[in-house]
Amino acid sequence: MSIIATLLPVDSFNIVVLAAVFVLIALGLHITFGMLGVLNLAHGEFLLIGAYTAFQIQEATGSVVLGMALAPIVAGIIGVIVERSILRFLYQRPLDSLLATFGVSLIIRQAIQLRYSANPRTVTDPIGGSFVIAGYNIPWWRFVIVIATIALVTATLALINRTRFGLNARATIRNPILADTMGINTSTVRTALFALGAAMAGIAGALIAPINTLNPSFGVLFLVNSFLVVIIGGQGSLRGLVTAAVLLGGSLAILQFLISTVFAQILVLVIAIVGVRTRPLIVDAVNKRRDRLAFLRSRRTRTPVS
Amino acid sequence: MTTLLHVAGLNAGYGSSRVLRNVSLDITPGSVVCVMGRNGAGKTTLLKALMGVIPKQGSVVLQGSDITRWSSHRISRAGMVWVPQEDTVFPGLTVREHLTVACRHQEVAAAVAAAATLFPVLGDRLDQEAQTLSGGERKMLAIAQALEASPKLILMDEPTEGVAPVVVQDLITAIRVASRNAAIVLVEQNVDTAVAVGSYAYILERGQIVESGAIKELHEDGVLEERLGL
Repeated sequence: MSIIATLLPVDSFNIVVLAAVFVLIALGLHITFGMLGVLNLAHGEFLLIGAYTAFQIQEATGSVVLGMALAPIVAGIIGVIVERSILRFLYQRPLDSLLATFGVSLIIRQAIQLRYSANPRTVTDPIGGSFVIAGYNIPWWRFVIVIATIALVTATLALINRTRFGLNARATIRNPILADTMGINTSTVRTALFALGAAMAGIAGALIAPINTLNPSFGVLFLVNSFLVVIIGGQGSLRGLVTAAVLLGGSLAILQFLISTVFAQILVLVIAIVGVRTRPLIVDAVNKRRDRLAFLRSRRTRTPVS
Repeated sequence: MTTLLHVAGLNAGYGSSRVLRNVSLDITPGSVVCVMGRNGAGKTTLLKALMGVIPKQGSVVLQGSDITRWSSHRISRAGMVWVPQEDTVFPGLTVREHLTVACRHQEVAAAVAAAATLFPVLGDRLDQEAQTLSGGERKMLAIAQALEASPKLILMDEPTEGVAPVVVQDLITAIRVASRNAAIVLVEQNVDTAVAVGSYAYILERGQIVESGAIKELHEDGVLEERLGL
């Protein structure tokens, strides 16, 4: 308790930032893998596309903000091309889609290496500077990352749960044949969802680029953590994704402060394994409680039917 | 009389297994046409083929448009909808969301109100997840969804199968309500239900149509009972 009490005031904002980065990098994968079920090994490369788009536009125009605005568009367009040309034929073949996205990841990574070389690149912090709260220095850009993450999660939740597109997407994912026979163009919905996931990865890559050094292997670094967050959070559950990201990102931030980065990553993997093992028990308990409450509520209003 | 749906030389099946063989039929506007036959005769396969769920050869023309090669969503938007026998819900979606998904030509609130009027039990369960509904309630929901699309033709696959007798009467009433604005192709095993709501019948055996005619005449002549082994 005394360790945490000592630690939290110093590092609490870094915990928030790392948790936000975990959410940010996993948000796109939540859509492509969690919702669409594509084992998307190219997710890290869509982050890479976003980051290098920001870098390229910064180099060409001097405006990194313009680069960040274009990053999701470029990643989204490439997402459409990948989905229409490859993945749309592989939705019923998960292992084939795994291999295909691995191939796509290699092509994108090598193309970026050919264009920009393997030399490290940097994207300028668009704001710079920091502000002070309670005597602690908080960099403005890290604060922006946290706010942007909250905004993107809120927007994604609203899109999936409050719009006609989101409803059609959920119907398509849950029962594609029935959705198709109800007039939903499930092929277009899937393309749009994959493009959205790619665009989310693109904007994540652009946002975290100023706090990292870019190289063609940049995306691979985030791929494992993205999958861990989505798997522990539960496929298709945005609330679960945020919880898992806070758990893993927070654990990593605290452990990195206490021990070396390598051991911290190992311990986070252990936490992830425990999380995967215990998740069904927790979900089962939560579902039982929810079903019990729903049953009690329905007994108050129920009229026997069959 | 004009033909709403004209099917000629329809062949369909699953993979290399051919189930339907050279099926031809006509549906006129406002009619309730029963498709009957023993288990495995190809009734469900016929509806799936018409709806574009499985591949087919032959010719299917809906109101003058050749829809043989159309995808399911395009067929649905052209006015032909399907009430499947099973897998009728989207897990995780509420009853209200099911009604919203199906709603294309009218305000969602009006469509939900119409569904609740036709099936009051659904009105009590609008915010309940549809997979928690009973079998009878799911059939009601599927029919309510079909009606929301303002269809010209509804393909119903055994809507009364496995449902309590008290609910069967509600479903028969709903089929009659639906037939006021749309033609219906009804796959039905129960002769009494088919005779009660149907005007014409096709009888399938081993994927081929072996009898057709006014359903009351087929019933009075004992053809239905003979062909169905009753």
